[in-house]
Amino acid sequence: MSSPAVVSAPSIPRGPRVGRFIVWGIVGVIGLTIVTAITVEFSFLDIFRNLTRRNLVLDGLLSPDIGQLWSERSLSAFVETLQLAILGTATGGLVALPLSIWATDYGNPYVWLRNMVRIFNAVVRSIPDLLWALIFVTAVGIGVLPGLLALFFFSIAVVSKLTADTLDSVDRQPIEAALAAGAPTISMVHTAVVPQILPAYTSFLLYGFELNLRASAVLGLVGAGGIGARIEFFRGRGEWSEVWGIVLMFFLVVFLVERLSVSLRRRLV
Amino acid sequence: MIRFRAASVVYPGGTRGLDNVDLSIEPGEFVVVVGLSGAGKSTLIRTINGLIPLTSGELSVNEHSVPDLNRRQLRDLRGDIGMIFQGFNLVDRSTVVNNVLMGRLAKVPAWRALLGRFPEHDLAVAAAALDRVGMLDRAHQRSTDLSGGQRQRVGIARALAQEPQVILADEPVASLDPPTSHQIMQHLQRINRELGITTIVNLHFLDLAVTYAQRIVGLREGTIVFDGPGSECTAEVFEGIYGRSLTADDTLTDEAPLP
Amino acid sequence: MSAPRIPQRPVDWVRRIGTAVVVIIVVWSLLDLEIRWERLIDLPRDMAILAGLMFSNMPLERIPSLLGALWESVSIAWLGTILAALVAIPLSFFAAENLVGRPAAWLMRQVFNVLRAIPEVILAIALIPIFGLTPMAGVLAIAIGSVGTLGKLFYEVAEAIRRGPLEAVDAVGGSLIQRFRWGLLPQVLPEYASFVLYRFEVNIRASAVMGLIGAGGIGNDVAQALRFKEFGIAGLGLVIIILGTIAIDYLSGLVRNRIIRGPAGVSIAVAAP
Repeated sequence: MSSPAVVSAPSIPRGPRVGRFIVWGIVGVIGLTIVTAITVEFSFLDIFRNLTRRNLVLDGLLSPDIGQLWSERSLSAFVETLQLAILGTATGGLVALPLSIWATDYGNPYVWLRNMVRIFNAVVRSIPDLLWALIFVTAVGIGVLPGLLALFFFSIAVVSKLTADTLDSVDRQPIEAALAAGAPTISMVHTAVVPQILPAYTSFLLYGFELNLRASAVLGLVGAGGIGARIEFFRGRGEWSEVWGIVLMFFLVVFLVERLSVSLRRRLV
Repeated sequence: MIRFRAASVVYPGGTRGLDNVDLSIEPGEFVVVVGLSGAGKSTLIRTINGLIPLTSGELSVNEHSVPDLNRRQLRDLRGDIGMIFQGFNLVDRSTVVNNVLMGRLAKVPAWRALLGRFPEHDLAVAAAALDRVGMLDRAHQRSTDLSGGQRQRVGIARALAQEPQVILADEPVASLDPPTSHQIMQHLQRINRELGITTIVNLHFLDLAVTYAQRIVGLREGTIVFDGPGSECTAEVFEGIYGRSLTADDTLTDEAPLP
Repeated sequence: MSAPRIPQRPVDWVRRIGTAVVVIIVVWSLLDLEIRWERLIDLPRDMAILAGLMFSNMPLERIPSLLGALWESVSIAWLGTILAALVAIPLSFFAAENLVGRPAAWLMRQVFNVLRAIPEVILAIALIPIFGLTPMAGVLAIAIGSVGTLGKLFYEVAEAIRRGPLEAVDAVGGSLIQRFRWGLLPQVLPEYASFVLYRFEVNIRASAVMGLIGAGGIGNDVAQALRFKEFGIAGLGLVIIILGTIAIDYLSGLVRNRIIRGPAGVSIAVAAP
């Protein structure tokens, strides 16, 4: 038997080069993280030291004042928070629908107007809730009204962004039918577009309400009404047990609302 | 009352949808347009109600010159032209009756339509349209619950609800099975005969064309290559329109021979 | 034969009652809230005055320092998001039922729910006494807040993955770690990256808010300016916040598209909750 011909052992060929995009992506992420860490003077040591020091905050966290649940003042501030969230979502969420429709190509035949609406939407969406609140407090003074105005614009931002994405992928065939029948734009939108997005839109309103609730809890920190004022009151006096008691109360409500919202949204879609 | 003169449609990118078309259609005619996909059938039909604008040439519908109409006038014209689509183009989540009422949107003030408070007269027109296609008892069913044939009947009712002078049908039976296709074509034929509505139908099933058309217009690469009664349409004529020999896909039922 | 009529519409009670309930709740809120509605009349004028103060005569020489503050906000948002991602990714595996079983997963999910429910602002005001009025408070507040949302998004993806690659690893005798590395990771990394970027966009806004309560960043400059009635600076800061946020949203959107779509990338709208 002749010996087999001598050949070099087969080896796995080199695979395709890991995409340049991934490499640059990872480099970018690491680089950005390092640069930003330097900017904020990040230090794990600091974190550890600070967290292990005794402080009022952690003490309060370990013994929260549950009595806040039935404190009359806190409760009424809480109801105020709830109502602000409800009204803010109702008003802003409602306005968000026509606003996002005016930004679509089928809902707005005038290009210049469409672009203006798009710019307006982009600006509104870039301002966070508490900043709205601060602006309105500066303009009209403290109280519940600036809080409501802030939530109005905040709701527009949240709901219109979600609705815009849905509007982009709407089925155009009924739109064509309505146009072919000679319908004016507003009737066309009402019969051919709105029925398509109604379930999604309602679910966005519910989601917006959840976000509004969380936002309205802190509006009081800048004087715009709600439970934030109570939080600020106790915080200023260093009474952290009370603060955490209120936060606990807040959790309860958010938890309930979320349960409700999730089950409602499931029934819609 | 529909007159094309040297009408052309050139799409961005250079494709010629219509190429120098001369065509006249008198009131009350039942015309079937045949041709390969891309031959210009869809383009031709969509220029009549202005969904696709002419690039050059003239087009007049009911004495109106379509290219010269402003937005409002175009809407008024479209109010008198009903359109039926291959994909039915219904609003799925809406009921049958709400879909049909879409046909009245050009005739009632917008605020009434938005509030859903249509006048008695418009409701009666919608009811009559539904009755004519036999869908009145399903008025409050959602269109998603309907079969293809039923949906197209709703589409026809929607067009009828406009009380139109012209009905355009773009491949109305392409998504339907043979018996249903015949049913729909018969509806269209009956409507044309009983109400005198000018009807223009795009079809790619040639046996259907021959069965139902008074007049057949053959399009090829945007030009008219045949215009005459269905009786003159033999297989050779169709091969001339298509520019190729016929296949089984060109007829609805495989056994139906062309004359 | 009488003319055909449209039959009566069947009454949808669920819809009617549902709408009625909602309307009642909204009306109750409206009437019960103690709002001084007269102030609404002055609103347009007040806003116009404020806008005038803020946007005419903006001190352009302050732009460099404000841009620096903006960079600090971006840093806070970025670090907070990355920290949260690093913590959330391993934790999310413990919330996936197909990896650790139901009871353990449920526990982990409740942890995520609690973290999601806390508004970051509250975390921040709790952290400020501990870390002082520094950006670190903001970074940690954002990080803790984001662990919850990212964790939820991550485990939902982890649950939806196909079993195939996992089984393949098992079939060749792979360990748990190898299961992760070869079966799980390649499927989930693009989605994870996209979620992290989306969260970053959200956190940019959060970090502006952090600044408002003192935890560093451009929000700080704006809040201070308003407090001391230096409206020009506040206006300039607001403009920079708006433009910066829009720019970052846009860039982040581009990268997200590229990640999900791949090099052929046709732009689509990718939105995570």
